[in-house]
Amino acid sequence: MGKRALVIAIAGGILLAIGLPGLINRLTQGMLNVGWSTPIPWAMWLAFYIYFIGLSAGAFLISSLVYVFGMKRFERIGRLALFIALVSLLTALLFVWLDLGHMERFFFVFLHPGITSPLAWIVWLYTLYLILLTAEIWFVMRPSFVHGAEGRGGKARLYRLLTFGVRDLSPRAMERDRKVVWVLATIGIPLAIAFHGGTGAVFAVTIARAYWYSGLFPIMFLVSALASGGALLTTVVAFIVPNGLGEYQEEVIGLGRLLALLLFVDFLMEIAEILVSLYGTVPAHFIPIYEQLFGPNWWIFWILGMGMGLVGPMLILTFPGRKSAFWTGVAALIATIGFIGIRWNIVLPGFAAEELPGIGRAFMEPHWVYRFYSPTWVEWGVTFFCIGIGALILALGLWLLPLRAEEARA
Amino acid sequence: MYEDLQRALKKPIHQRHWGMVIDTRKCVGCNACTIACKAENKLPPGVVYNVVIDEEFGTYPNVARRFISRPCLQCQNPPCVRVCPVRATYKRADGIVVVDYDDCIGCRYCISACPYGARSFDFGTFYTAGQTPEVAPWDVMPSFEYGEEVQREPGNPWRSPIGNARKCHFCIHRLEKGMLPACVTTCIGQARIFGDLNDPESLVAQMAASPRAIRLKEELGTEPSVYYLL
Amino acid sequence: MKLTRREFLTLSAFVGGTALFHQAMNVLAKIDPDGGGIYYPLAEPGNVIYTVCQQCNTQCGIKVRLLDGVAAKIDGNPYSPWNLYPHLPYQTPLREVAPIDGYICPKGQASIQTTYDPYRVRTVLKRKPGTQRGENQWITIPFEQAIREIVEGGDLFGEGHVQGLRELWAIRDPKVMKAMGDFVKKIWAEKDPEKKKGLVEEFKAQFADYLDAMIDPDHPDLGPKNNQIVLMWGRLKGGRSDLLHRFFGSGLGTVNRHGHTTVCQGSLYFGSKALSEQFVDGKFSGGAKFYWQADLGNSEFVIFVGANLYEGNYGPPLRVVKITEGLTEGRLKYAVIDPRFSKMASRAWKWVPNRPGTEAAIAMGLIRWIIENGRYDETFLRNANTAAAKAAGEPTWTNAVWLVKIGEDGTPGAFLRAAEVGLTTKQEVEKEGKKVTVYVTPDGKEYAYDLLVTMVEGKPVAFDPNDAENGVVGDLFVDTTLRSPDGKSIPVKSGMQVLKESAEKMTIEEYAAEAGIRPEDIVELAREFTSHGKRAAVDIHRGVSQHTNGFYNVVAWFTLSLLIGNYDWAGGMIKATTYDYLGSKTKGPFDLGTMNPGALSPFGISIIRHEVKWQDTTLYDGQYPAKRNWYPLSSDVYQEIIPSIGDAYPYPVKMLFIYMGTPVYSLPAGNTNIEVLKDPRKIPLIVASDIIVGETSMYADYIFPDFSYLERWEFVGSHPSVAWKVQPVRQPVIPPLTEMVKVYGQEMPLSLEAMLLGLAEALGLPNFGPNGLGEGVPLTHPDDLYLRMVANLAFGEKEDGSDAVPDADDDEVRLFLEARRHLPRSVFDPDRWKAIVGEDLWRKVVYVLNRGGRFQEFAKAYVGAQVKNKYGKLVNLYQEKTATTKSAMTGKPYFGCATYIPAPQDVLGNPLEDEKAGYDLVLITYREIFHTKSRTISNYWLLGVAPENYVLLNAQDAARLGLTDGDSVKVVSPDNPEGVWDLGNGQKKPMVGKVKGVQGLRPGVVAFSLGHGHWAYGASDIVIDGQVVKGDPRRATGVHANAAMRVDPYLKNTCLVDPVGGSAVFYDTRVKVVKV
Ligand SMILES: Nc1nc2c(c(=O)[nH]1)N[C@H]1C(S)=C(S)[C@@H](COP(=O)(O)OP(=O)(O)OC[C@H]3O[C@@H](n4cnc5c(=O)[nH]c(N)nc54)[C@H](O)[C@@H]3O)O[C@H]1N2
Ligand SMILES: Nc1nc2c(c(=O)[nH]1)N[C@H]1C(S)=C(S)[C@@H](COP(=O)(O)OP(=O)(O)OC[C@H]3O[C@@H](n4cnc5c(=O)[nH]c(N)nc54)[C@H](O)[C@@H]3O)O[C@H]1N2
Ligand code: SF4
Ligand code: SF4
Ligand code: SF4
Ligand code: SF4
Ligand code: SF4
Ligand SMILES: [Mo]
Repeated sequence: MGKRALVIAIAGGILLAIGLPGLINRLTQGMLNVGWSTPIPWAMWLAFYIYFIGLSAGAFLISSLVYVFGMKRFERIGRLALFIALVSLLTALLFVWLDLGHMERFFFVFLHPGITSPLAWIVWLYTLYLILLTAEIWFVMRPSFVHGAEGRGGKARLYRLLTFGVRDLSPRAMERDRKVVWVLATIGIPLAIAFHGGTGAVFAVTIARAYWYSGLFPIMFLVSALASGGALLTTVVAFIVPNGLGEYQEEVIGLGRLLALLLFVDFLMEIAEILVSLYGTVPAHFIPIYEQLFGPNWWIFWILGMGMGLVGPMLILTFPGRKSAFWTGVAALIATIGFIGIRWNIVLPGFAAEELPGIGRAFMEPHWVYRFYSPTWVEWGVTFFCIGIGALILALGLWLLPLRAEEARA
Repeated sequence: MYEDLQRALKKPIHQRHWGMVIDTRKCVGCNACTIACKAENKLPPGVVYNVVIDEEFGTYPNVARRFISRPCLQCQNPPCVRVCPVRATYKRADGIVVVDYDDCIGCRYCISACPYGARSFDFGTFYTAGQTPEVAPWDVMPSFEYGEEVQREPGNPWRSPIGNARKCHFCIHRLEKGMLPACVTTCIGQARIFGDLNDPESLVAQMAASPRAIRLKEELGTEPSVYYLL
Repeated sequence: MKLTRREFLTLSAFVGGTALFHQAMNVLAKIDPDGGGIYYPLAEPGNVIYTVCQQCNTQCGIKVRLLDGVAAKIDGNPYSPWNLYPHLPYQTPLREVAPIDGYICPKGQASIQTTYDPYRVRTVLKRKPGTQRGENQWITIPFEQAIREIVEGGDLFGEGHVQGLRELWAIRDPKVMKAMGDFVKKIWAEKDPEKKKGLVEEFKAQFADYLDAMIDPDHPDLGPKNNQIVLMWGRLKGGRSDLLHRFFGSGLGTVNRHGHTTVCQGSLYFGSKALSEQFVDGKFSGGAKFYWQADLGNSEFVIFVGANLYEGNYGPPLRVVKITEGLTEGRLKYAVIDPRFSKMASRAWKWVPNRPGTEAAIAMGLIRWIIENGRYDETFLRNANTAAAKAAGEPTWTNAVWLVKIGEDGTPGAFLRAAEVGLTTKQEVEKEGKKVTVYVTPDGKEYAYDLLVTMVEGKPVAFDPNDAENGVVGDLFVDTTLRSPDGKSIPVKSGMQVLKESAEKMTIEEYAAEAGIRPEDIVELAREFTSHGKRAAVDIHRGVSQHTNGFYNVVAWFTLSLLIGNYDWAGGMIKATTYDYLGSKTKGPFDLGTMNPGALSPFGISIIRHEVKWQDTTLYDGQYPAKRNWYPLSSDVYQEIIPSIGDAYPYPVKMLFIYMGTPVYSLPAGNTNIEVLKDPRKIPLIVASDIIVGETSMYADYIFPDFSYLERWEFVGSHPSVAWKVQPVRQPVIPPLTEMVKVYGQEMPLSLEAMLLGLAEALGLPNFGPNGLGEGVPLTHPDDLYLRMVANLAFGEKEDGSDAVPDADDDEVRLFLEARRHLPRSVFDPDRWKAIVGEDLWRKVVYVLNRGGRFQEFAKAYVGAQVKNKYGKLVNLYQEKTATTKSAMTGKPYFGCATYIPAPQDVLGNPLEDEKAGYDLVLITYREIFHTKSRTISNYWLLGVAPENYVLLNAQDAARLGLTDGDSVKVVSPDNPEGVWDLGNGQKKPMVGKVKGVQGLRPGVVAFSLGHGHWAYGASDIVIDGQVVKGDPRRATGVHANAAMRVDPYLKNTCLVDPVGGSAVFYDTRVKVVKV
């Protein structure tokens, strides 16, 4: 296994270990020890879920630059992009699953779906997307599997398996693969847009929460998805792929340009949203924003979201990052982390305003607490665990799968 | 009201539309409704179907005080139902919005979607279990919501209704037995009027038609079945 | 049926819609209530028992729904006038009532949490020998051992010998005690000090053999050693009270049996007692311990003063509906005089936030305006006697026109007697061999007592106040001088004149300024009050009575009411009326009052020195002030019991029994009781009956577990605002949670009853045991007493039985048995029960118990515009008895009429001026509907609505003090600068609460609600048999600031008091709040 993959693997293992007690508590005690409550029914786990969904969608859309629009300059990182999309998706799904009050019943969404529920839609979309993604990855990698299948060793045996006996590498076969990939990738674009926009819709359709209830929401979702996905991809290419900075210099810098653009658009939208809400001081709009900016968790907005997520990276990318792959990578890394803040502030401020003025003082019991939320150790634990799993899969992929350019060329 | 109730019960269910009118002039903010509901449905900590909002206005000595008691408004166009991914929560023919505890996957989408904060999530908490020298019987007693024996089990998060969304159901189990909802019978201001909105004879229908009647957040188009008299 | 009563109001307010109900019931009957497929066992009539709530003293009727013998849900009893308006006809069959629920308040809804409190005591607890009282170190001991130790005494705690009950039960011979008692009366009646001394010597001679049984032979009026046993109780109701008085009174023979009245609304009772004293045989007696409330169902205008009907009072379910209906009907309009913007103030026509303690100032202002503007009911006021009132169609009358003698210093004294002005002549005559004095009128009529005098068109006329034939109508305003036969001049005034002059002590502007309100407020209130004929009323409670001037506040407001003569009128002032359960009215079926073999008749000065004048006793030394105050006009002076024991005044006490009371928590400055309680030298033995280790029982030596209200019997009586004649019955509903013991050879669950019967058995008390109710009539089980009481109630108040309730039919008997199938034989045994009441009364008993008591028909409470259940007597506008009683503190007589006395004053009458020392806020306290005193903190459902209470300040004050909502502040006062409860066990509980700034509170006032700030009652750890029972922090939240309340500077170990009415004072303390 490559040194860096190993680092990821170890990091993942550690996270998983730290998170395990939390996970066990979650599985044995249910939601007994979470910090969220009825008035704040969606919290940390939901924030991470949409975060990872965003990463997945973003990474996938970028991969489509290669497989749909045949952008040569990114060709060598196409597979990586696809795989990151997959890993992020799996991690995201793990988060929502653990967020369910009754995990064991998740499949009811297929048995008796609520057709009017955005949540139901996106679950189907995710499923479709998952299938499509795996298929696309397989087709993209098949040649490498075939090559790798020769020779001995565990990896060879694995590859032999993964070819599913389809060993034909004739130009015709390759041509067919290319077409299939193109088709899948092309279907993938609207799909990704749909499910991610859909995720936005989950929030947007809740008339109860003025903060979410806006047409802009799904769009913002997309743009920030692209941005965050791009950021992660860039980070991985730059720092995780062996000698990424050297080998993939142009790609990294290229991605950096793209990222800068996406960040800027996202920034504009954020500003718009905030100004509008602050201007018209309608409580339902005003309070959530105000809470974000000046509430107890102000730092999530200013430092994490705005600082690390948007402004910081933008500056780095426009100045040192213009030429330096390293700085681009740094910017991307910071952005990747910073976007957690942006996601957080998509979910939680939605609950900042009382549905009915005064309801927060009408009743006070554990888990019936308005405005105040801080994640408990159980929530942190589960979060670490899920991310840990993600990291492990990523490492596994880097180790076993032909994700890297030279493997692709072979 | 009992007469109205009996008349309604004789009709086929789809011809009924259960509704409530709460007269804010008669409401004295006592919370008997809130606690009656807790007791009737054996609700655990953090689960509350009815709340009473107590607001003070004005400045001394010209002060006013308003009490808004809020059960589930049983919206006829219920956003909570619309968003449920598994159709675990739905509107009955008689207009009552219910939750099927065996179908609910506990995603809490309905909770975020309710514009009135009328739904609770059951976290599996108890009042005495594990916190006092012994477990009190009322803490682990079954309730009869929906006319079934609903038994919560300490330490078993997999057993519904723990892990579910829960809400006011207009005491269906009492209605079907010819009894008014617990919060209605116990209202010491006699501010709560209950009955069949489809029955023009019924007191509730007449009250709902009064010019003093309003509904909360009418603009959202949720069409609540609960009216307030100002 | 439409219980929203809208339709009843279309009917006359008096004749309720009984007809409608029958219709309704028929409708109901036709429907089969079995909703298809719906499982709801609680709906089955066979799973319901009707009884009475006791979460607070409103005592609502409830129906308890049971699930496998466990109380599962509680609803209101629709048969009860408390819980449905109008209530269901009494004859409505049980089955039909099953689906119909009445209303109860949130505490009632949560009440199973009191019964099934995880912290309940199940077995007898004894203070661990070697540990101090209050250390909360307990050991469990067998019932028999506890009984033995208390009866025989001994070195029980390694602290030396403790006297047992047997020893203290000194005089046991009824005849001897009776004779002694009569003799002591003679001593008291003797005015001449020398002769008094002589009588004492006589006493010693006559009772020489018993002198060692006396507390102090030189002061026989202290009574026998029996009096060194003291019983104090908090919440006590009929049945249990009869048992307790039987045991401690006629059994052990102690006079010291005192309730909590004065901590509650004492001066409201004793003001009313003074107002209701009747003229019997020439002097005033028979004043009733009771009070009036407004007949809200029919009033058009009501002034509520210091009464909190939406959140407290007696009580929300009973009273609120009549108001909310009245408001929406447009029938009722009301004003609220309260420094706090209570929930009820928020619906008032007028809120008058007065300065605490100035209630009488407002009343006197109104009285002055009404008199000046002649808006009083002249016809009513001028009726001098029964006959005149009858003629005028008035159910009550007053003494406004009676002539009062005026002393040379101008103070009004006794009423003028006819002989004094020669209208009658005193003569000695022979009557069956005895010389008696009689009074003879010019026309030769003889009276055993002298007549009184009124002016009729300027001429003095003698009259008999109780004369039912010859009506006398007097002149209202009289201020003149009459002459005695021997020509001495006697200045006299009419009662009305005295009132007028009392009201004229201040101008309306001055009264308003005093109360911190606008003069217009007074005028508007007065005008409105006199604009509704007799359908206006005043409704007053603790905010009026619990002041150092409480007695006069109460008298002033009821006197105001007297000016429109609204007593016994629908919409006016009414009183409680109950069915007799003792069988005394009919002398049967069971005349329990007389079924009391060997009954002692206790005598002597009580430890609280009540109902006797210091000046009459052998303790009087003419040195004013006396060591502590005396209470000739009141009783049940709760705050006086423990401090007097501490001061051993008038004598030391050996044993204290506490039943369902927690003086430490409930009294103002209750912390001062701790020093006495924790000292075995001051009280050698303390026994508490409790359901839990509470704030006071934690200082006991023994705690006997008691039944909760769902496990026991009680006959709870009524409240003044209940127009109907009633007697709700509390009865066993669930299998008791307490340990089973053996008494008189029978299984019996631990309880107050088991404790008393056990002690009686060990002592061999004659009025308990196999012949306890008479030869061959046993009192060996509580049923022996309680079932007979139910039987009396069922039989009614007519000898011929025509007042009896119907027999329960077979179906009802079946339901009765089915609903009780889960009760153990020790509690419910149909055969035992039937045997006690007898075959012919059995089904009537079932009928009553099936309905949770006996309730008069809705329609029967009114006749025309008057109430059916009348007071129907004299109401004193001028009180001779009060005016002729001298204070033991000042030696001056009390004023006999409504007046305004500023508060606060100490017991000597000196004003307190703590504000000058920088204590700038007046501390007041009030009820939230979610809590009852010390007793509901265990109700976790309620804590959701009120997890803690607050230190309420007016937002201006909060700002001034730089406080924001949520800040923690400490309440400190001159007596408690540290702002803590010193628990005397090394621990201190700070009086710290969170600030809440509101607009609805008079600036300069700070308020906290009752029920939080616990340190016992499950709030902190205790040790039983070496095991730690962890406390629950949820019970320790909030603040209970009673320990900040002012200690009387003269009494030192007692809160401020109302020296006349006996009230403990809650609302006259100046405090500071300091941020912590
Ligand atoms: N701050 C403040 N203090 C107040 C008041 C206020 O308004 N504000 N109100 C005052 C008034 S009106 C009153 S009446 C007094 C009442 O004061 P009390 O009558 O002295 O006491 P309670 O609070 O009724 O508590 C009775 C105690 O008896 C025990 N107990 C509870 N249930 C049972 C039972 O079923 N059986 C037996 N044997 N024991 C039981 C418990 O220890 C409980 O603490 O409080 C007064 N105190
Ligand atoms: N929820 C509840 N209900 C109860 C009880 C309970 O503990 N809890 N206890 C029962 C018992 S034992 C009793 S005695 C009754 C008491 O019933 P109430 O006396 O009617 O109720 P409280 O709240 O004690 O006090 C009455 C009102 O006096 C006001 N007040 C305080 N200080 C002053 C003052 O100086 N002047 C004036 N004018 N008003 C003042 C308070 O703000 C309060 O609104 O309640 C009974 N009902
Ligand atoms: S009030 Fe809320 S929970 Fe009730 S029906 Fe309407 S949306 Fe649903
Ligand atoms: S919580 Fe249950 S009821 Fe609510 S939306 Fe999710 S599945 Fe439906
Ligand atoms: S109707 Fe029943 S469920 Fe709904 S709030 Fe009232 S009591 Fe609770
Ligand atoms: S029970 Fe009636 S009066 Fe009391 S808060 Fe509820 S609605 Fe208002
Ligand atoms: S008012 Fe409430 S607590 Fe008091 S007796 Fe009635 S129901 Fe019980
Ligand atoms: Mo009281």
